[in-house]
Amino acid sequence: MRKLTLLVAFLLGMAFPSFSQLERQLANENQPVDLVFHAPRHINLLTVEPLEKKSMHFAIMHTFGTLDGGVENLFGLDNGANIQFSFEFGLSEKLSLGILRASRDKVYQAFGRYHIFEQTQNGKKPFSLSLAGGAGVITNTYSFLPEPEQPTFGDRMNYFGQVMLARKFSGKISFQLSPMFSYFTNPLPIYQIEGDQNFYFALGMSGKWKVTERSSLTLQYIPNLNSDLRSNFGIGWDVEAGGHVFQMYFVTSQALTEPYLLAGGNGVPGEEFRLGFNVNRIFALGQKKRR
Amino acid sequence: MRRLGFLAFLFLPFLGFSQEYLTKTGSVVFLSKAPLNEFEGKSKALNGLIDLEKNLLDFYLDLNTLDTGIGLRDKHMRENYLETEKFPFAEFTGKMEPIPALETGKSYPVKAKGKFKIHGVEREITVEGTLTQRNDQSLQLQSEFVILLDDYQIDIPKLVFYELASEQKVSINATLSPKK
Repeated sequence: MRKLTLLVAFLLGMAFPSFSQLERQLANENQPVDLVFHAPRHINLLTVEPLEKKSMHFAIMHTFGTLDGGVENLFGLDNGANIQFSFEFGLSEKLSLGILRASRDKVYQAFGRYHIFEQTQNGKKPFSLSLAGGAGVITNTYSFLPEPEQPTFGDRMNYFGQVMLARKFSGKISFQLSPMFSYFTNPLPIYQIEGDQNFYFALGMSGKWKVTERSSLTLQYIPNLNSDLRSNFGIGWDVEAGGHVFQMYFVTSQALTEPYLLAGGNGVPGEEFRLGFNVNRIFALGQKKRR
Repeated sequence: MRRLGFLAFLFLPFLGFSQEYLTKTGSVVFLSKAPLNEFEGKSKALNGLIDLEKNLLDFYLDLNTLDTGIGLRDKHMRENYLETEKFPFAEFTGKMEPIPALETGKSYPVKAKGKFKIHGVEREITVEGTLTQRNDQSLQLQSEFVILLDDYQIDIPKLVFYELASEQKVSINATLSPKK
C-alpha cells in the first residue's frame, strides 16, 4: 500500500512540473460581446452600442422625398431632405450625452444614453440593457401666424424616453426591443406631425442580419401602441467601411428624432417609401497620438 | 515515517527547484503599416513561462486585451479579423536553440523554434530575441518578429487594403520572475 502511495507521489511529482504549459485564462471572464449593432444608430433608432469614454459619435442622417415620383424627381432626392446632424460624447463607458439638430421643424434636441449592462460572451448577461432619453425644442419661425397664435417656448417642447433591450443571438443575428414614449407639450397642427395627442407609446424593434463580414441587412418596425397613426417600417443595408458605417434604407417616414418618429405619421409600406441614408463616424478625443 | 520524509526530500527537486520563470504582465505591441494608415495595438497582459531546465517556452495573450487606441477599431479587430469570441488567444509554445548559459547582468541573443497559433491556425515559426538575466534574478525577454495575416487566414477586404497591412510587426518585452 505504501509502495503504491509512493509510486503515485512519484508519478505526480514527475508529471506535474514537466511539460506543463500555462493554463489559458481569459483576462476578463465576462468579456462583453462586440458590436451587437454596427453603430449607435440603426436606421433611425438608437441602439445599445456604447461609446467608449472620450469618444464622439457623429452621425449625419437624411431622409428624402417619396420614391413614387420616379426618376423625374430622382426617386425623391429632388424633394428636399430632412437632415439631422448629431454629436454624441462618451462621458464614461456607460454614459453618453449628445445634441442634434434636425431640419424638420428645425428641432434642436439634447439626448443621452445610459448602459446598465452589456451582454457577455460567457452568457452570464444574456442581453444588453440601456436607457435613452431626450428633450427637443422646435425652433421654426411661424411668422405667418398672428401674434397671439404664435407658439410659446413651452409649446415647442417635445420629449422622449426609451428602454433598449438587445441580444446578439449569433455572429449573424441581433435584435433589439425598444419600448418608448414621446410627449409633445402642445402638438399644434402647424408642426409637421400627424398626431394630435400629447403622449405616444410605441414598441421599437430593430433587427440586424449580418450577411457578409462587413455588411448587414437591417430592419426597423415601430408599431404605435396608443394612436391610430400608421406604424414606422424600414428596411436597409449597413456597410462598415474602415472607420465609417454607412446605412442606406427605405423607410415610411421622413421623421428622424424620436418624438417625430412616433407622432410624425407614416406612409403605407411599399407605396410610400423614402430613401434614407446615414453616415456614422466615431472619433477618439483627448488621446495622444500613439507612435 | 522517517524514510518517507527522506523520500519527500528526494522529490523536492521536481517540485520546487525547477528553473521556471513566469509573468502575467508582459508587453506586446503590434504595428500595422499600411500605405494610408499606420497604427499600433498594445497589451500589457502577456502570460509567459520560461523553463530553463526543460527548455520550454510557453506564452499566450488574451487578444481581447489588445488596445489600438480607438474603441471601434478594437471592436472591428476582435469581431472581423481575429474573431476573438471563437479564438481568444494567440499562443506560442517552443524551445530555445540552444539554451544560453546565463550570467547575471548579461544579455544573450536567443532563437526559439515552436508553434505559433492565432485565429485557429497553427504554424511552425522561428523567433529571435534577447534574453537577459537581471540582477534581481528575473529574466527579461525581448523579441521582434513579423507575422503575415494571410498565413493565419485573416482576410483583409479590398476596401481596407490601404488601411490594414498584412505584415504585422510584433514586439514583445517581458520580465519573468522566478517561480516561488
